[in-house]
Amino acid sequence: MKKLSVILMILIMMGTMVFAAGSKEETPAAAADEKIVIWTNLTADAQAKVLRKQFTEVAEEMGVEVEMVTISFNDMYTKLATAVESGNVPDIMHTNFAGTAYLYAQDIIIDMDDVINDIGKDDFIASYLHVLNAEGKTWGIPDWALHTSVWYRKDLFEKYNISIPKNWAEFKAAAQKLNIDQDGDGNIDIYGFAVPLNAVQVAPQTYYEFLYSAGVTTFDPKTGKYTFGSQKKKAVEVTEYIADLYRTVSPPSSIEWSWNEYRNALVEGTVAMTLDMGAVIGLAQNNNPDMVENLGCFDLPGQYGTKPASFGSGYAFVVSNRGSADKIATKKEFINRLYTSERAAERALSRPMFAFPSLYSALEIYRQAPTVALFQEQIATITDAFEHSNWYWYGMEHGLSQMSSQIEATTFFGEALQSVVLGMETPQKAVDYIDQMLQEQISIIE
Amino acid sequence: MDHMQRTRQKPRYHAQRQTLGIIFIIPIVLFLLIFIVYPVLYNIILSFTDAKLLSRQFSWVGFKNYQKIFTNMRFPTYVKNTIVWTVASVAGQLLLGLSIALMINRKGSGTGLRSFLLIPYVVPAVAIALVTKWIMNGDYGIISWWFQNLGMMAHRQSPLAIPGSAMATLVIVNVWRSYPFPMLIYWAALKSIDKELYEAASVDGAGAIQSFFAITLPHLKDTTIVLIVLRIVWTATYFDLPWLITGGGPAGSTTHLPIMIYQASFGTFQTGYASGLSVLLGLSLFLCVVFYVRKTIASDTHK
Repeated sequence: MKKLSVILMILIMMGTMVFAAGSKEETPAAAADEKIVIWTNLTADAQAKVLRKQFTEVAEEMGVEVEMVTISFNDMYTKLATAVESGNVPDIMHTNFAGTAYLYAQDIIIDMDDVINDIGKDDFIASYLHVLNAEGKTWGIPDWALHTSVWYRKDLFEKYNISIPKNWAEFKAAAQKLNIDQDGDGNIDIYGFAVPLNAVQVAPQTYYEFLYSAGVTTFDPKTGKYTFGSQKKKAVEVTEYIADLYRTVSPPSSIEWSWNEYRNALVEGTVAMTLDMGAVIGLAQNNNPDMVENLGCFDLPGQYGTKPASFGSGYAFVVSNRGSADKIATKKEFINRLYTSERAAERALSRPMFAFPSLYSALEIYRQAPTVALFQEQIATITDAFEHSNWYWYGMEHGLSQMSSQIEATTFFGEALQSVVLGMETPQKAVDYIDQMLQEQISIIE
Repeated sequence: MDHMQRTRQKPRYHAQRQTLGIIFIIPIVLFLLIFIVYPVLYNIILSFTDAKLLSRQFSWVGFKNYQKIFTNMRFPTYVKNTIVWTVASVAGQLLLGLSIALMINRKGSGTGLRSFLLIPYVVPAVAIALVTKWIMNGDYGIISWWFQNLGMMAHRQSPLAIPGSAMATLVIVNVWRSYPFPMLIYWAALKSIDKELYEAASVDGAGAIQSFFAITLPHLKDTTIVLIVLRIVWTATYFDLPWLITGGGPAGSTTHLPIMIYQASFGTFQTGYASGLSVLLGLSLFLCVVFYVRKTIASDTHK
């Protein structure tokens, strides 16, 4: 009897393991259709709170259930890859442009032109729609976007009688003038310009702003053909210029600086200029409020004057193609309701400063918000730049491309640039290596 | 029951016990098969394919991935980085662990001290990485400030921004994080050494150092073999600290094979290629361990 009960217990344990490993819950179709699962990469409290509030409001309006899941940006690709493999793709994703490109390449999202037309296509800022375009369709709805500018110390520009530079030669000269030894001990206390080159994402973002300013792109914006390989001479010039800036006007440790370090450096006053998308203002408001009024921005000039394009980033809502026709219609309706001017502006305002909503009507509400009242000059500078110039996310000069997530998730740009500034590799070799890696990535994507 | 009856019942009894034993081990065998054997075998198979995270289809490519690995110009550097990281970390943590174990093995050291010494082992890697980056920051980090004021580094420079010192920093941090494990193992081993041996040595005139080399070290040999094997395997496959602190930089000087595998899997999405790298890493570790253990046993037998 004792033996029998032992055997029975073991069989129950094994049975539990088998069922726990692979049981598939049958969700009644009606219940699944009424629940919308949304993943967002925005994990900061302020942003998640606004999203949750808006999703709940819309869900109540529509009489559906909504579940919001926040997933940190660093986990995004692994979780997406797992979700795609397991078939557990969420109904709606709120992710950056590279994430949108990945989902498009996996063929699990639907085009949103009908929703965009419903909201009003003319109300959208054109460059935001372009970046999400592929095969003549728009595969996500841009939520807000960020633009790279040079954030600088207005007080130091005034003190040293420096004008806003109009080309790279003037830019370097301005930065050199701003290498300041405050206490006369022979050490530079304020460097002219930070060149952050942390291999994890920051280096390619720094590099691409300079590449675009010099007219170098990964793909031709019109044809989509790979162009970096034919622009290597110009890319070498860009690399040499960045290396020169690093050696002459940037703190030596900036080779491993990530976002926190270079933003803090500007806010704490140890560098006079840095490339950023506007988060420095929020950081200054929290950590060094006296610095806020000293910060201004200008567009990085083109190499010889006119700048062909800028580097930018942003987020979009995408809808998965999973589910019944009714479910997909429900998801589209859900997104549509999120795009009132008020809601679009509220989401952009929940970001650190200078995330611009994708709708002109929302932009007007955004400009009038008390939190941005002091920054009308900077807002005008940036909106002018992305309205009148080209604006790309790396690898997406021709629209959606998986290349952007490859560039974002790898460190070969950073490794190459770091090798150059440390004198371990020539700019030509570094550019050859980057070209080789880019072509390798293209062959993987294709 | 007479002798004949007991003799007839013995084989049946043993068979029953054998069956029961087999039933007991079935769950763990299943666990090992599903979670260890199958993934390892599947990984080996994947390494001979062009599998990518971006596509569900893949095809057999033979040794192409391995060829690509060995013709990658940066591969020798990453292998060298892996060896430096592993050997230096293991040597450091064993030496430090043994030193501290000897210290706490003396009379007077209480549970409080031993608990305090365990703290590095329980601190999460993320917290260690953040604090390391703070104290090494070229603008406000205390360690960088010391080096700058001693004239060992340029103004506003950081050890994490210089290739050689970046690796040294990682090794030091890893030794600090990992020493408690060898410390505990050595401490337990020290406790098992017969005190009378030391007393006898003392009577014969041996000093502390002589006793250490003649008595303590020989008794710790088997423990050290086990620790070296375990720590080599664990350290060579550590991804967290190097990735969080330096991201493999500057200029790839702290990129080791686990980072290379991560980049191949989730950077360039080449799972077949990444599998090849992990097979090579696993095989190298296995061969190292077998070679080391056999050599040690052989030298023992020779004595």
